[in-house]
Amino acid sequence: MAGQRCAVVGVGQTKYESTRGDVSMPGLVREAALRALADAEMEWADIDAVVIGKAPDFFEGVMMPELYLAEALGCVGKPILRVHTAGSVGGSTALVAASLVQAGVHGRVLTLGYEKQSESNAMWALSLPQPFQTSVNAGAGGYFSPIIRQYMTRSNAPDLIGCMVAFKDRRHALRNPYAHLHQTDLTFDQVVDSPMLWDPIRYSETCPSSDGACAMVLTDETAADRASKPVAWVHGTAMRSEANNFPGRDEVNPAASRQCAAEVFAQAGIRDPRNEIDVVEMYVPFSWYEPMWLESIGFCDEGEGWKLVEEGVTNFEGGDLPVNCSGGVLSSNPIGASGMIRFAEAALQVRGMAGDHQVDGVSKAFGHAYGGGAQYFAMWVLGTDKP
Amino acid sequence: MTEGELWAPLTLEYPFTRTTGPVIGAFLTGLREGVLCGIRRPDGSVLVPPVEYDPETAEPLAEMVPVADTGEVVTWTWTSEARDHQPWDRPFAWAMVKLDGADTPLLHAVLVDDPSQMRTGMRVRARWRDEREGHVRDIEGFVPEPPS
Repeated sequence: MAGQRCAVVGVGQTKYESTRGDVSMPGLVREAALRALADAEMEWADIDAVVIGKAPDFFEGVMMPELYLAEALGCVGKPILRVHTAGSVGGSTALVAASLVQAGVHGRVLTLGYEKQSESNAMWALSLPQPFQTSVNAGAGGYFSPIIRQYMTRSNAPDLIGCMVAFKDRRHALRNPYAHLHQTDLTFDQVVDSPMLWDPIRYSETCPSSDGACAMVLTDETAADRASKPVAWVHGTAMRSEANNFPGRDEVNPAASRQCAAEVFAQAGIRDPRNEIDVVEMYVPFSWYEPMWLESIGFCDEGEGWKLVEEGVTNFEGGDLPVNCSGGVLSSNPIGASGMIRFAEAALQVRGMAGDHQVDGVSKAFGHAYGGGAQYFAMWVLGTDKP
Repeated sequence: MTEGELWAPLTLEYPFTRTTGPVIGAFLTGLREGVLCGIRRPDGSVLVPPVEYDPETAEPLAEMVPVADTGEVVTWTWTSEARDHQPWDRPFAWAMVKLDGADTPLLHAVLVDDPSQMRTGMRVRARWRDEREGHVRDIEGFVPEPPS
């Protein structure tokens, strides 16, 4: 991989909740940042730069939040940079932070994603009317539902695969104290019987609206070698994007997704992702995206993703490729942070610090985020050993 | 608009909410009670309006202190035609007002009829509204002290 070595040495998360009414936006990001610094055994003065990400400004109506939040993030007199890539932003933000370390520009970078959905309405922000166009006014679920149906048709997947994913991720969330949804008594039948929200997506197959923030400290090799706790080395990073509408676009399996995965695995020297990756944190805001991304990323052949779900391959318990052991986006969705949570959870798995959802013997983990109309992709591979 | 140009109305509106947190929340509560508050930094200086984190050290700040509703105009600019949503519907001055007991100035309006009544260093006093809701506009504006 190009550039200097880079490692994750600290992770901090807030509890994800529907409303964090006790803290302002600065107070929310501060909480995650302080936890990441504590995990990294660092103080504000140790940080060279901050890279922050959140969903588009319409989501909370704060323009240039990076300026507003600089004091809370100990960034006065230091560079602060904001990344915009819609829902994938948490992943892209981590990758921009990593690139600053890999390029030798900074040695210790704090990176953070956040969202306070309780102060906004994502459904509104995702359905803004446009001049001369019909407003569908259906939010993200309305956008993705026909694409999901196209996948179901193309792959001949059984109707309840999505419910299996949703039930699995909600079970996984019970192992993660930070997860928003802790539906202890949820049954598979309740998932199946939940109201059809955006046909074919049921209510229980969709992500919640959450407040929360997630932060990481990334450092160069010198600082990582000094860390007293295990670190997660960056083995590969890739971002790709494409327009959401052009003739011949494969919306089920976008070219940008396939190319991004090919690049990140090439950098990490991975030829057989299914066998070489030990655990996956993948951006699945609607249940069916788990089998869709399994195929697109190359964990299996096209049309086979749903079979991995059906066979339990992606379960924490008994699966050989556990996906979203944290509960995933389906259990916590502070949008601007959701991608970074995937990347941070991958780091926790590699560091052996994922608590009750720790997979045994992880040496390589995969973090993934997507955003827009499945247009932006960000991925990284982390490992226990230096690349 | 040039002839033949396409034109369509586009109005985007959403009533966003804000969680104020412990510091800004206390400042706004003070306004509702008719009391202006700042926050003390470790070096003893007082920031008005208050902030949650120290602008230099990033340490959390928590010591809210009341300041006077009188102060001094640090600098100002004249608004000869008031626009919608501005504090007054007549000509007025935007001013940075350093309240007695504060080390940083607050932006507000000075309500005088003519720019000849304004000068840097002049003394002003807050004119409170009778009905207050916890908003910076609970202060209608500042007026010269003693009244000119």
